Amino acid sequence: MDRKIRVALPSKGRLRDSSLDTVKKMGVHLNESGRAYIVEDAKGDFEFVFARTFDIPLYVHYGAADLGITGYDVILEREVDVYELLDLNFGKCSLVVAIPENSEISSVKSLSRTPRVATEYPNITRKYFESLGKQAEILAVRGTAELAPRLGLAEIIVDVSETGKTLKENGLKVIDKILDSSCRLICNRISYRVFEKKINGIVERIGRMP
Amino acid sequence: MFKFQDRDGKILALRAEMTTPIARIVTTKMGSRPKPLRLFYICNVFRYNRSYFENLREFHQAGVELIGCSKLEADGEVIALLLFSAEKIGLEKVRIDLGHAGLLREILNTMRLGESEKEIFQKILKSRNTAKIDKFTEDFGISPQLKDLLLRLLNCKKLEDLQSISLNPKLAKIQRFLSELLEVNDILSDYGVEEDVFFDFSLTRKIEYYTGVVFEASIPNVGLPLGGGGRYDNLMEKFNGQKLPATGFAIEVEKCLWALKNQGFDVSKRGEPKVLIKSMSRSAGVEALKFLRNAGITCLLNFDEQEKGDVIEYAKQLGVNYVVFVGSSLEKSLEIYDINLGSAKKSRLQSFIKSMEASEGG
Repeated sequence: MDRKIRVALPSKGRLRDSSLDTVKKMGVHLNESGRAYIVEDAKGDFEFVFARTFDIPLYVHYGAADLGITGYDVILEREVDVYELLDLNFGKCSLVVAIPENSEISSVKSLSRTPRVATEYPNITRKYFESLGKQAEILAVRGTAELAPRLGLAEIIVDVSETGKTLKENGLKVIDKILDSSCRLICNRISYRVFEKKINGIVERIGRMP
Repeated sequence: MFKFQDRDGKILALRAEMTTPIARIVTTKMGSRPKPLRLFYICNVFRYNRSYFENLREFHQAGVELIGCSKLEADGEVIALLLFSAEKIGLEKVRIDLGHAGLLREILNTMRLGESEKEIFQKILKSRNTAKIDKFTEDFGISPQLKDLLLRLLNCKKLEDLQSISLNPKLAKIQRFLSELLEVNDILSDYGVEEDVFFDFSLTRKIEYYTGVVFEASIPNVGLPLGGGGRYDNLMEKFNGQKLPATGFAIEVEKCLWALKNQGFDVSKRGEPKVLIKSMSRSAGVEALKFLRNAGITCLLNFDEQEKGDVIEYAKQLGVNYVVFVGSSLEKSLEIYDINLGSAKKSRLQSFIKSMEASEGG
């Protein structure tokens, strides 16, 4: 195949910067262009699309992008079937269960059998509570789940936490950790077959770097 | 799976695939038919999971089952038929990636892994992350010989590459699976399709009933497999206790349409030519309709439009290929307007039918 390999990268914040570092490790020089959504590399071998981290697993699953960099948490949440080629060891965070600091409850076991939970991760949350034998009522929110307890929307949230600072500022405490996450290099299953040599080369180059 | 409760409390479910319902019919209703059976279907199925094409809950599968034959010739036949069918519907550059459920299972058993470890290791194999494979084999004390075999199998891209692997007699069962795969390759080259078939040791299909050769079909620029299949020798006995080996494949119709579109194929332009008939006299119009239908041509009568221009405009909207203007009788030659050429000519119905047959053949 002689078309460009399309790579989906996080469009915002620190994940964008770290992903661009990874792209440098691949030995690829981006034609920097500020805010453009689609950028080519200098040699014309690659095409980079900038997208929301939550959308990247879907892009890769359907082959709209051949490769993608996004968090393990959103890969699981989107329930996609993609190859996970590398742990990139940045964007580390945990997905945790948190409740108001002043609550008497200290473990998830003591939560009601039908807890009401606000989260950006409805699928992971549903499965997690099912594994505990609880049927959660899930309020799927975008961003700022930590506001939900204060507004009386839900007592419980499932959200990502890097340092625990944001949770603390919102008067919340962690009562369980569901999983640890970090950014991964993922690949569409068919694209892997088509570009096997090139992709293995990329994985080796990134893997070799500290 | 979609499940409902009947009024008397019985559980009802919508089929999620066709192989299991076919296995039920074959074991309970077709027991006396001569084997092997060769069956096909084009059917709607229903799934609730989200990771299929465009999140449709209902989609269509077209597939075949070859039941009652354990020979590798049967595996070769269905794989070749899958490639042939894909080509027939107009797909290009179709490739098959092929693995062996028995081989993978046997190797995992030889590694003496627990069920959850097997699952983890299969994921690692699939990701082809050699650093992870190194770490896993070290952590679980896998022998260097076995690890070497794993890496060599992963590196085999074509079935013929498996020739280079020879194992010590302790691993005879694994060796037997390898020679099976080599024989499949020979069968595929008899069909002339071995170039399109690739070996993928880590390939596992989602359904657990597979026992032997498994495969998946894909094209380069479409990110999801179009379909696949494999050998399932233990499914039938679940229905009536009798062993009945089988293999088959299914391809997803909607995904194939997507793939065709992706390869620049205009699906709507395909199909038999269609004809709109406009007649001055009702009886002559009906006669023309019968005549064309008898020749196997799809046609319909126009009543509403009066002006010739309006009739042609309507025909364009319908997407028919020709308009036949009939006068007072079929005895005279008719005016036949070709929508694609945008011009008309005089012709008798018989010669019109002949010319359509000729252009179809070409």
